[in-house]
Amino acid sequence: MSEPKIEPDLMRVSWGPQHPMSGQTRILLDIDGEIVHRLTADLGFTHRGIEKILENRTFLQGIIPIERMVMVDTANIGLGYVLAIEEALGVEPPERADWIRSMICEFYRINSHLYAFGLQVEATAYFPAVFLWTTIDREIILDLQEQLTGARWSYNFFMPGGVHADIPEGFQDKVLEGVEYLRGRFKQYWGAMVENAIFEMRNEGVAVLRKEDAIRLGATGPVLRGSGVDMDVRKDDPYAAYGDLDFKVVTEAEGDAMARLKVRFHEIEQSLDIIEQVANEIPGGPVRTRIPLFLRIKPTEVLSRVETARGELGIHMFTDGGMNPYRVQINSPSLRNMYVFERLAELDEILLADVPVVINSIDPWYLDSDR
Amino acid sequence: MNDLLTIWKALFTYTIAPLEISGKLIAGLFNSFTSALWSLPGWLLRFFWFNFKPLMQVLLLPGLAFILLFAIIVVWFERKFLARAMLKVGPYYCGKRSGWLQLIADFLKLFLKEIIIPYDAHKILFLLMPVMLPTIPALAVILIPFDQNWVLFNAGSLSLPMFIAIAGLAPLIPIFSGWAANNKYTIIGSFRTAYLYISAEIPLVICAAATAIMAGSFNLVEIVEAQANLWFAVPQFIGFVIFFLGLIIESERTPFDIPTAEVELVMGWRTEFSGILFGFTMMAEYVGFLAWSLLFITLYLGGFNGPNVLGLPLYSHVFWLLLKLAVLVPIVIIIRGIFPRLRMDQMLRLGWYYLTPLAVLNLFIVLTLKLLGVFP
Repeated sequence: MSEPKIEPDLMRVSWGPQHPMSGQTRILLDIDGEIVHRLTADLGFTHRGIEKILENRTFLQGIIPIERMVMVDTANIGLGYVLAIEEALGVEPPERADWIRSMICEFYRINSHLYAFGLQVEATAYFPAVFLWTTIDREIILDLQEQLTGARWSYNFFMPGGVHADIPEGFQDKVLEGVEYLRGRFKQYWGAMVENAIFEMRNEGVAVLRKEDAIRLGATGPVLRGSGVDMDVRKDDPYAAYGDLDFKVVTEAEGDAMARLKVRFHEIEQSLDIIEQVANEIPGGPVRTRIPLFLRIKPTEVLSRVETARGELGIHMFTDGGMNPYRVQINSPSLRNMYVFERLAELDEILLADVPVVINSIDPWYLDSDR
Repeated sequence: MNDLLTIWKALFTYTIAPLEISGKLIAGLFNSFTSALWSLPGWLLRFFWFNFKPLMQVLLLPGLAFILLFAIIVVWFERKFLARAMLKVGPYYCGKRSGWLQLIADFLKLFLKEIIIPYDAHKILFLLMPVMLPTIPALAVILIPFDQNWVLFNAGSLSLPMFIAIAGLAPLIPIFSGWAANNKYTIIGSFRTAYLYISAEIPLVICAAATAIMAGSFNLVEIVEAQANLWFAVPQFIGFVIFFLGLIIESERTPFDIPTAEVELVMGWRTEFSGILFGFTMMAEYVGFLAWSLLFITLYLGGFNGPNVLGLPLYSHVFWLLLKLAVLVPIVIIIRGIFPRLRMDQMLRLGWYYLTPLAVLNLFIVLTLKLLGVFP
């Protein structure tokens, strides 16, 4: 990557790959004392060529690599790919499969938001206490997933035509128990962390992204909703069972780091409501539609959109009649949010101490932005 | 005949006499050496008998053994105690579930690691600064009275200013070491250290001066004696709070460990130290914490005052001081588990906007109380 030239009076610090908090990325900060004048993101450390890999896998095999784009949010991304195949094939899954898909997706939304929430609090050096608490709460979700699908985070449960297997006996009661426990925990999190005086000082007014800028720069997900824009694929273009479920799209008006955190927080509460609805009202019926084993799809072009925890994921698939897709283009939410992150240094004054807080409030997942 | 006599005289003076004289010298040296050797135990005994108290002070309390043991025990306590707040257990395997051997293991590991000196670093400063780092707060500890007669260095009416002066040297070491390491992260840590201490020293010194005014002397022993009836924390409540915050700031603990903020600066000014140098920087944090805690207890919480235990005044005074320390340390440790870290500009704002005016207010309150004759 050709790095931009350093201005004469600034010092370039590489918040780089060898860093306790940077993740798998390198961000160049041009700082003058404590004020950051320019942010340049150097992405590509974890590029694995998933789009090319998918061209060399059959449609069913392709579910496995694409789930590894984001490890805390595998359900939503896998669902995007499966929906693209179903649209190309012209197959509708049965209703029960749709409801199960929604439940799993909402579980993973909670999973991802807990992780992001823990990281953002850890960025203010309230570490590692909160991060460990949220990790322990994620165990509840992972245990439930293991009972349902057999694996903890990458389980290839969705397939074109439905889901692999049905809900086991007694699962609904365990789900409701888990939901109650998580609800109690979130009250504690709100009181201990979000209403913590120093935490509010570190997060309020930091990196304010106004509504016009968010739309102009192409933000997505909680970043967009934290700036007051009411856009959510689950409501705008319903897939799975979201058309039948009753939930609200959470927005906050301020656009600072605290607003994005609160959006994630309230989205977790909405997800818990959705899971409860699914556990109580799921319709009966089969969970799979038969599709041929050696799947060939005639030449088409489809576009599917899902709302992952980080934003809107778009999968644009071209098929040509063979067993593999001809081309799969993945439009990842983290890449678009990283672009917004780079522009934040010009939009609002960011201090060096704010950089970890801001980047975790945008919540990119670097394997997602690099694919 | 005369020739024979001259020959005998020449023979004597040039051969036998030197042998005799040197023989006498050697015999004399040998005698004095053995007599010194025989008198050494007596000399040692006299030395230890007449200088018993200073030796005990230097070696045990409040000297070498106390400071090292405090650093070790507080590190262990922090790891175990704070771990419960984080739903962990702390060191668990070395030393049968209490993990006390873990510290010895860690210390040995640090000792045996390679000391890496960065390219183009200033070698002398880089190697010297961590050694000075725990030494300076340890020097400040020697001024604290554990009893009316048990002060390692009784500077009389210069105790309190001397403590503040020694503690004023403390911020220089992180600044020098951050520059010496030739690294951008460390230099940012140095800048932040300078900012941090600038914002914290002035309110601290004003509050310390206020206690000295109320006691009527700068002598730490007399300040403690003036609190025999009422601890200074009660009339000087504002100063109590400010000094407590200052205690956490000066020992660079969370929520004020801005210079060594791991999430931005790897380890701030401590980044490039490895091996035993890193061990020194870790120890220095706790020795500084000890020094300022002891001063805080001496100025505001009555020092070594307390009712007599078993009728032994010296031991009961030491006991009360250590008990107050044992109550203060967990409170400061648990604060680390409750609050996130402040940002640098918020810290500056806290120091100059809030703490300094409050410290001056505290001073006015003390002057008023003094003029009204409440505290003679």
